[in-house]
Amino acid sequence: MSALARAAMDPPAPAPIFDLARTRGRGPADTFRTFAVSARLGWQLEANWTDPFLFFVYSVAKPVSSALILVVMLEVIGGPAGRSFRPFVVVGSALWSFVISGIAGLAWAILEDRERYRVLKYIYVSPSDFLVVLIGRGVARLVVGLAGVVITLVVGVVALGVPFDVAVVDWPLLAASSVVGLGAIIALGLLMAGVCIQTRQESWSYPEAFAGALFLVTGAVFPLAVLPAPVQAIGLLAPLTWWIAGVREALFPGGPDSIGGPGSLFAALLGHPSPTGSEIVIALLATGGVATLAALAVFRLSDRRAKRAGLYDRTTGS
Amino acid sequence: MAASTMSFLERAGTGPREAARWSRRQVLLTDLRSVRGRAYPRVKGLLREPSWVLFEILLPFLATSAFVFVYRAIDAPQQYVGFVVLGGALSAFWLNVIWMMANQLYWEKSQGNLELYFAAPMHFMSILFGMAVGGMVMSSTRAATVLLIAGTLYGVTFSVDQWALLLGVFLLTLGALYGLGMVLASLFLVWGREAWHMGQLFTEPVYFVSGLNFPVARLGFLGALSVAFIPLATGLDAMRQLAFAGAAFPAGTPPPLVEVAILAAMTVVSIVAARWMLIAMERRARRDGRLSVRWQ
Amino acid sequence: MPGAILPLAIETRAVRRVYAARPQPIVALDGVDLEVPPGELFGLLGPNGAGKTTLIKILTTLLLPSSGTARVFGFDVERETKQIRRIMNMVAGGEQSGYGILTVREQLWMFTQFYGLAGGEGWRRVDELVEAVGLAEQRLQRVSTLSTGQRQKMNLARGLLNDPWILFLDEPTLGLDVSAARSLRELIVEWQRAVPGRTILLTTHYMAEADELCDRIAIVDRGRILAIGSPTELKKRVQRESIFRIELDRLDGGAGALARLPGVVSASAAADVADSVGRQVVVMNLVLEDDGALGRVVGALAETGSRIQGLRKSEPTLEDVFVELVGRGFEDSEAASMVPATEEVG
Repeated sequence: MSALARAAMDPPAPAPIFDLARTRGRGPADTFRTFAVSARLGWQLEANWTDPFLFFVYSVAKPVSSALILVVMLEVIGGPAGRSFRPFVVVGSALWSFVISGIAGLAWAILEDRERYRVLKYIYVSPSDFLVVLIGRGVARLVVGLAGVVITLVVGVVALGVPFDVAVVDWPLLAASSVVGLGAIIALGLLMAGVCIQTRQESWSYPEAFAGALFLVTGAVFPLAVLPAPVQAIGLLAPLTWWIAGVREALFPGGPDSIGGPGSLFAALLGHPSPTGSEIVIALLATGGVATLAALAVFRLSDRRAKRAGLYDRTTGS
Repeated sequence: MAASTMSFLERAGTGPREAARWSRRQVLLTDLRSVRGRAYPRVKGLLREPSWVLFEILLPFLATSAFVFVYRAIDAPQQYVGFVVLGGALSAFWLNVIWMMANQLYWEKSQGNLELYFAAPMHFMSILFGMAVGGMVMSSTRAATVLLIAGTLYGVTFSVDQWALLLGVFLLTLGALYGLGMVLASLFLVWGREAWHMGQLFTEPVYFVSGLNFPVARLGFLGALSVAFIPLATGLDAMRQLAFAGAAFPAGTPPPLVEVAILAAMTVVSIVAARWMLIAMERRARRDGRLSVRWQ
Repeated sequence: MPGAILPLAIETRAVRRVYAARPQPIVALDGVDLEVPPGELFGLLGPNGAGKTTLIKILTTLLLPSSGTARVFGFDVERETKQIRRIMNMVAGGEQSGYGILTVREQLWMFTQFYGLAGGEGWRRVDELVEAVGLAEQRLQRVSTLSTGQRQKMNLARGLLNDPWILFLDEPTLGLDVSAARSLRELIVEWQRAVPGRTILLTTHYMAEADELCDRIAIVDRGRILAIGSPTELKKRVQRESIFRIELDRLDGGAGALARLPGVVSASAAADVADSVGRQVVVMNLVLEDDGALGRVVGALAETGSRIQGLRKSEPTLEDVFVELVGRGFEDSEAASMVPATEEVG
C-alpha cells in the first residue's frame, strides 16, 4: 500500500497551529542547551578520550614534544644559563598547547562544518545562537589542551627536573589568571573563526600560524626583554602575555619573569623590575577585555560579509 | 583525439575499441598534463586568495623567529640561529606534505573528486605529483622568505663549500619528502578520519625527533634513527652540515654524502612504494566500495 | 566508426555485489544479466536502493563486482580499467565535485588535462561545451557560486569533455527545475544521436524521463532486473485491454446497453462534469477487449443521438508496469529498501 493510501486511512491529524511563542525561544535555558550539545558534539568529533590514540596525540605527544624541543635547545648550549631557563620554557611551552587548542578549536569548527560535513549553513539558520555553538565546539579542544598542560607539567617536574612545590602556589592568582585568560583565549579563537569564515579550505594551518606569531611576542619561552622595544610594546598589549606571566608567577612564585627584568620595556615604563600579581590581573583584565571586544567586532563583520557573499554554504578547496 | 575544428556533437574520431588503445606517448602526455591539471587549482588558489601570504609566510616566520630569540636569550653562538632559520624553511615543505598531500585524498573523497580521478584515464600518481608541484610553489615561497628575511634580519651567515651538493641534497630532500607524502596519501585514504589525527602526530613530535631547531645528533640513538627514516631529519642534517661548513657539529650522524645516499634511497623507495600502495589501495577501495563513501 | 562491428557497449553476466554491513550484508545486485548494444540510450529504472548506482559504479570501474563479469565495449571492468576509462565518462545528479576556488572555465579545463588534451585544445573544447550547455554567461564565475542547475550543466559539460563513447548518467536531472531538466535532456539526446555508436546508460527514478529518453529500459528492484524492453513493449505487458475515456453531450439510457455490446468489457458513466472549456459533459469510461470494439460503441452512441465531445485512449505508464512487476508502487519500494546508511547501495 502506498504511503498516500496509508495516510488516507489514518485519522486526520489536527490542523497545525503556528505557535508564536516558539519564535521567542527560552532564553538562557536555550543557550545552555545549545552550548552543551555543541560541546558534546565537539568532544565526540575531536577529542573523545575513550580513544587512546586521540588522547596520546593531542594531550601527550604534541605538547610534550613541543616542550622537549625547547629543552633540547637549552641543553645544546649547556651552561648555567641554559639550565636555569628550563622551568621557564617548560611552563611556557605547556601553556602554549592550551593556547593553540583554544584558538584552533573554534576556527576548525568553521572549516570542518562548512567544508567536510557541510552542515554549517544548517547550524547557522537553526534557532541556536551561532556564537554559542562555536564556543561549545571549541570547548572540547580546550579540555584536551588543558590535559596537555597538566601532562607536560607533570613530565617537566618528574622527568625534566622542573622544581615544583605545591605549598607555595599562589592559588588566588592562579584562579584569577586562569579564568580571565580562558576568556581571552576563547576571544582569540573567535577572531580566528571570523577569519576562517572568509578563507578557503586550506586554512587549517592559520590558527597555528596566528598562535605561532603570538608565540614571539608573549614571552612564552623567552623573556620579552630580549625583543626590540616596539615588539615588546605589542607583547604588553596581548592578553596572553599577562596570562602566561600570571600562571607562571602563581605556580613558581619568584621564578624567572617574562615581562620585566633588566632592559625590559615594562621596567622602563613602570619603574620597578617585575609586575606584581595584582598588576598582572589588572593588565590581563584590560587587555582581555579589549581583545574580546575586538574579536566580537571582527566576527560580526565577517558574519555580515559572509552573508552578503554567500560564504556559509560554499565549499572551496584547491 | 579528433580535430578541434569539429563540433563536440560530431567529433567521434576512431571507434571505441581503437580509442581505448593509447600509444605510450599518449599515456605519457596524459600523465604529464594531469600533473599540470592538478597543480593548476593549487596555484590559482594562491593567486586568488592572498591571505596565505600572511598566514602561510609572515606569521610562520614570526614563529620561527621565536626560536631564534630563545637562543639569543641564552646567548647561543650565531650558528644556532642559522640552524633555526634552516629548520623553519624546511618545515614549510614538511607541513605541505602532511596537510596538502597526505591528508588531501581524504578531502578529495569528501568533495566527490576522488571517484572522478579514478574514473579518468591518467595514472593516479600524476594527481599526487600535481598536488606536490602545486604545493611546492607555496612552500618554496615560504621557505625562501624565511631564509631571506630571517637570514638578513638575524645576521645568519651561510658558509657553503659545495654548492652543487647542497642543491642536490635540497632536491633529494624534496623528492624524499613528497615521496613520503604520496605513501601517506594512499594510507590516509584507507584510514579516513583517523588520517587527520595522524597528521597532527606528524607535526611537533616529528619536529622534535628531526631536530628542527637543533642538531639532530644531540638526540643520540634517536637522532640517528630519525636520519635513517625521516627525510626531514636527513635533509635538514645534511643541509646544515653543508650550509654551515666548518661549524662544530656534534658527532652521531653520518657525513653529507652518506645522507645523500639515504635521501636517494628514500626517494626511490617511497615513490615505488607509493605506486604499489596506490594500486593496492585502489583495488581494496574498489572491493570495499570506499572510493565514493563520504565522511567515514 | 562506419561499418565496424562492435562488441556490446555493456555486457554483464550474473553480476552480484554484496556490501558488508551490520546487522547483515546488503545485497545490492543479485545476478544482473544485461546486454546493451552500441548506440543505445539505455535506462535503468527503479526506486532508490534498487542497485542502479551500484551497477554504474561497477561499469565505471569504481567498484568491483562480488561475483560475475562485466564488460564495457568488450573491456573487462576488473582487468582492463585503463581502456574503459579512456572511452567513458560519468555524470551524477547533485554532484559537487571540483574546486570552489576555480571558475567554471578553469574547472573544466583542469578536467581536460586528466583526459590528456593539449592545453590550447582543452580551452577550445571547454569554451565550446560551456556554450553548448548554456553556461556562457557564467563561464568566468566561481564554481562555488553556481546554482544547482548551473552546476549540473557544468557537470554534463565535464562528462562530454573527452568525447566519450559511453556516458553514464546517474540521475542527471536530480533536483533540477522543469526547464533546466528539459534542456539537459535535449542536449543529451542530441549528443548521443549525432554519432552512431555513442551509448548512454541512464539511471533515473523519474518515469517520464525514462519514457521520453530511452530506447530500452530495464526495470530494477532490489538488485534484480525484472524486465527489459522499449517503453512501448514494457507498457504493452500491462495493457491487456484498451481503455478509453469518452466525453458525451448526453447519454440517454445509461451505459448499461453499451456494456452489453460485443467486445466491451465494461462501460461506466460518471456524473456530469465540466470539460476543459466549461461545457457540461457526461464522462464515460470504456474498457474494451481491443481497439476494434470502439467502432461498435461509437455507432451505438450515434444511434441514441449522443454526440462525442472528446475521446482519449488511456495509456498505461511505466509506473503501472512497475506495479505489475513488483506488486507495489515506487514509494513503497523506496521505503522498503531503506537500509542503515553504512554503505551506498545505489
